[in-house]
Amino acid sequence: MKQRKKTWAAALTAGALLLAACGGDDGGSADTTAAAVETTEGATETTEGGSTETTEVVTDSTELAMPEGWAVDTSLCVDPDAANAPIEGTIKIGSVMPLSGGPAAAAFAPVKDGFEAYIKYANENNLLDGVTIEVAIEDDQFNAELTPGAVSKLIDSGSHIFSGIIGTANNAAVRGTLNDNCIPQLANLTGSPDWGEAADYPWTTGQLAPYTVESQIYAAQIAELYPDGATVSLFHVNNEFGQVYVDAFTELADEYGITIVSEETVEATDSAPPVAQITNIATEAPDVIMAVPLGNQCVSFLTEVDKAKAANSGWAPAVFLTNTCASSRILGASGAAANGLYTSNNLIDVADPANAEVPTVAEYLAFMAAEGKSEIVSIATAGWTAAEVTVAVLIQAAASPEGLTQASIINAARNFTYVPMLGIDGVVFKMMGEEDTFIAESLIVRQYNAATATFTDIGELITEFES
Amino acid sequence: MELFFQRLIDGLAQGSVYSLIALGLVIIYRGTGHLNFAQGEMALFCAYCVYQFGEWGIHVWIALPMGMAVGFMLGALAEVTLVRPISNKSPFAVFIVTLGLFTFLNWLDGAIWGNQNLPNSGVGSKQQSYPSLFPNARDDFWQPFGVTIRYDRAGILLLVLVITALLFLLFNKTKFGLAMRAVASNTESAKLAGIRTNTVLMVSWGLAAAIGAVGGVVIAGLNSNVNLGLMFTVFIYGSAAATLGGFDSPGGAVLGGLIIGVVENMSSGYAQKWIGQDMKLAVAFVVILAVLLIKPSGLFGTAKVERV
Amino acid sequence: MKSLFTIREGGVASWVIRLVTAAAVFLVVLWVPTRTGAGTILTVIEALVLMSAAMSLNLLLGYTGLISIGHSAFLGMGAYTTGILVSRYGWSPWLTFPVAFVLSFILGVIVSFPSSRIKGVYLALVTLALALVFPQLATWKKLSWLTGGGAGLPAQDAQVAETGFNIGAQARGQMQFFEIFDWGPFGDLRKPDNKAAFFYWIAVVVVVVVYLVCRGLVKSRVGRSMVAIRDNETAAAVMGINLVATKAFVFGISAGLCALPGCVTAIKTGGVSPEGIQSLTVRGAITFLIVMVIGGAGSLWGPIIGGGIYVFVTDKTGSWASDDSIPGVLRPFFGWAKISPSDGIFAVLLILLMFVAPRGLAGVWKQYSPMVVRVLRRPAGAVGVAPVALAVTPNINHPEGEMQ
Repeated sequence: MKQRKKTWAAALTAGALLLAACGGDDGGSADTTAAAVETTEGATETTEGGSTETTEVVTDSTELAMPEGWAVDTSLCVDPDAANAPIEGTIKIGSVMPLSGGPAAAAFAPVKDGFEAYIKYANENNLLDGVTIEVAIEDDQFNAELTPGAVSKLIDSGSHIFSGIIGTANNAAVRGTLNDNCIPQLANLTGSPDWGEAADYPWTTGQLAPYTVESQIYAAQIAELYPDGATVSLFHVNNEFGQVYVDAFTELADEYGITIVSEETVEATDSAPPVAQITNIATEAPDVIMAVPLGNQCVSFLTEVDKAKAANSGWAPAVFLTNTCASSRILGASGAAANGLYTSNNLIDVADPANAEVPTVAEYLAFMAAEGKSEIVSIATAGWTAAEVTVAVLIQAAASPEGLTQASIINAARNFTYVPMLGIDGVVFKMMGEEDTFIAESLIVRQYNAATATFTDIGELITEFES
Repeated sequence: MELFFQRLIDGLAQGSVYSLIALGLVIIYRGTGHLNFAQGEMALFCAYCVYQFGEWGIHVWIALPMGMAVGFMLGALAEVTLVRPISNKSPFAVFIVTLGLFTFLNWLDGAIWGNQNLPNSGVGSKQQSYPSLFPNARDDFWQPFGVTIRYDRAGILLLVLVITALLFLLFNKTKFGLAMRAVASNTESAKLAGIRTNTVLMVSWGLAAAIGAVGGVVIAGLNSNVNLGLMFTVFIYGSAAATLGGFDSPGGAVLGGLIIGVVENMSSGYAQKWIGQDMKLAVAFVVILAVLLIKPSGLFGTAKVERV
Repeated sequence: MKSLFTIREGGVASWVIRLVTAAAVFLVVLWVPTRTGAGTILTVIEALVLMSAAMSLNLLLGYTGLISIGHSAFLGMGAYTTGILVSRYGWSPWLTFPVAFVLSFILGVIVSFPSSRIKGVYLALVTLALALVFPQLATWKKLSWLTGGGAGLPAQDAQVAETGFNIGAQARGQMQFFEIFDWGPFGDLRKPDNKAAFFYWIAVVVVVVVYLVCRGLVKSRVGRSMVAIRDNETAAAVMGINLVATKAFVFGISAGLCALPGCVTAIKTGGVSPEGIQSLTVRGAITFLIVMVIGGAGSLWGPIIGGGIYVFVTDKTGSWASDDSIPGVLRPFFGWAKISPSDGIFAVLLILLMFVAPRGLAGVWKQYSPMVVRVLRRPAGAVGVAPVALAVTPNINHPEGEMQ
């Protein structure tokens, strides 16, 4: 008996090893450096194609006349014909966002409303001439394991492109598949520097300013506040999102005279107040705390810091907070604890009554009010802008010689200059082939005033990182 | 030195939370000899109920006894319908039933209140944050000798001690408590002595769940929100506490909880680079393992004599 | 008891039944990758992973009676082994399977040592703590040079920039075709359907291997020792079974087998992190337990049924959080719930089963199938019967050990 089973096992193992040895071809030659840079017809310019609508719509796309634009090489696609097939009548945009679950959903679920609102706005004003835009947003509970399934489901139900997926790990989980199958993954709502890899992943673009730029801007601001050098404690969520900030900041520390005295982490799924972490930070009494919590963790973080400040009179650290939390709705939940914190943004603070008169802001607020979504206007701007950028890309692609195809869409996205409706004065979204692979690289530092629940601009819009 | 005392106080405060869960576990174990895996989830359900009462405008100090009553009924119901019929089968069956109850209650919470942090203005919660039993605003602390003692944490510790004292009185000074001890010691003899064992068992579970309810409300208050994953890790810490103190000793459970809270806080504070926040659970794991290997009956428990 | 049919063991009828069942299983296994889309195949792969994990847990819990809610740690061990070896050291993914098995085996043996002193639900507590600690260990800063810390693998600083996971474009030098002697049975592996089919077959092979190992173990002398330990440990010791060695061995095998689906998951997901693979957290361990109990503890093919049912129900009811996805008939029952009802269904099922069918669905089958088909055993010593054949036939009418 045992003998027989042993021989079975041996035979199986041998067979498996044999198969393994013979199988597994390592693909063909990696002779593709030329391919991506080659210019074929591809998208070459933008026109005023989208701006033929009613006067209230304030979109603005400047001319971009480039004799040779960057164009994606569709020969690498699994199905090049599908990538070049014209999209007519209806275009389906898919997205995956955390609509339920932990701290991320609590903070970011309203982004969906902003996104869908803009699409409705675009359809109502027929911005994409003759083409209806449909949106389908799935819930992955901020769980990167569920994102591929959601994306598969959306592809199966006919989504032509993806836009506005939230979460660094979530976007990374589907990036390979979408690139292999030549489906544009536009406007990733995260600032990971990964989305700038245009050579390897041409079909993926990011929407938020890279966290590396944000870290640098904060480091510069700290150096300004503390010319003689500052002690900084880092507090971050223990995942890829937090790690990017930490790595960038640590690299810049010496340059800006910063000494990092401690580093504390919090788990992504943890919604308890970080008492022990803040106690540890308080013992070091640093000048600055650089914090990257996830979503609603910002609220509990700020509350704890406030309590620690009360207990340790004489310690008044400057708090720098990731701009994913820079919405007055999230900060408002922290009340007075959020007062005086530094953050950044490239969009106008729509919750500030002083900005209500700006025409584009007024239009946005009016539209959201009509939808009954006035409460979430500040955090919904992220979704609104992502959708706005996507639609602008679509308009540009539709006006290109190939018409609206998946290839022309990504080409348009990467030869793109646009001023967003809700952008701060001077913000221009620009992407240029492989030289400028990040759409948004300008930020302004802001300080939060809890009493008025508004932000004050500190200094000027920093555009030096624009490529 | 200040830091040492600060960490000690913080540890005691954190540990008192674990003690509440451990107390519930111990009461059930004493009465029925089973480990109730659903202890944490029963507490969570009551915490959600208290949230709901708060939404209806009821002040938290009134909502708490209401939540405890809900817990009592839940525990009693679980014992009568689920545990008693199963308990004459194998301990494995009881374990699976309590695991099933764990899953069911967690699902029920999600089904009724949704999978998110509550209160949440996004879904129309009226409350700004989960109601706390004790004042927990920014300045609510007391600072003797440079050690910060926050009112809410001190309050919780006090509450745990009061509950322990009440339990002590119950077990040692009342007839019912005597009956509970009799049933715990030898069910058969207790029956023969005329004690209504069924009632005693039912009340034990109800009591344990009610105490758990207090635990749940306290933890949610510290957290400022209630969510589905609130009690997972707390349950493990509570079990570690009960293991350390001895599964049949309520006093041991409280002491075990306090010790674990202190050890956890000290180790993560002093060995920050090595343990820090990441490995706090490892401390609980090591404690459970060490106790079970060295002295399985815990600090104050009585060793079980297994008859072959 | 009266049964509808009576067939003779080894006779034509029993062979026909066996062949038909085998053919049916074979057809189903073939139908999935060839006729369904990538989404369905991925769901089936999840089921296959669950089946393997539940079968490995079954060895420990169903047959030996050692309660473990910690198998997610072993699955995670497998996933991380594959992740680290492929992503940091450039190994071929295939070679990581045996390595993961061995490493997990060792971990299982280590965990088994306390189990001689810790019994019953206390062991459950220890293993639960293990399951909770593992994800923390994986994201531990001190180990991030190995495990990639919170961000997981593939890490930014991986020694090997191109990992064997990304069966991707030729441009990145990745594996695009899987070739056996120049025959590429799956075609372009970048297509979601083909990629999914590829992973599917890997998962199927793992299930088959795990099943065969479990079967071999259960039917051997070690298997009988396991059952003896489960039924009465002291009696087993008295009869001369080396408790420590047997428990260590079974724990090791169980852990090692559980690592294999972990490797499959790592390859399928293309990256390893506790955020990215939920099966290596406590949720996973509880799921394995649920699958095993529902399918049938103490039965070889019970977990297979359990895994299939679990994934089927979870998939179908996954979107029932929003009322429009629920078919009209069931809406009054499930419409009020804010989340999908699958967890609730399984919880209730679990409790019900403990009352009516402690041996799970497989137990129900074994109890009631004799009413339909009764197999007449061949008398011992009959002419021309090889003893081997008798031992190999499945015991249709005799439950394989009693689960109390």
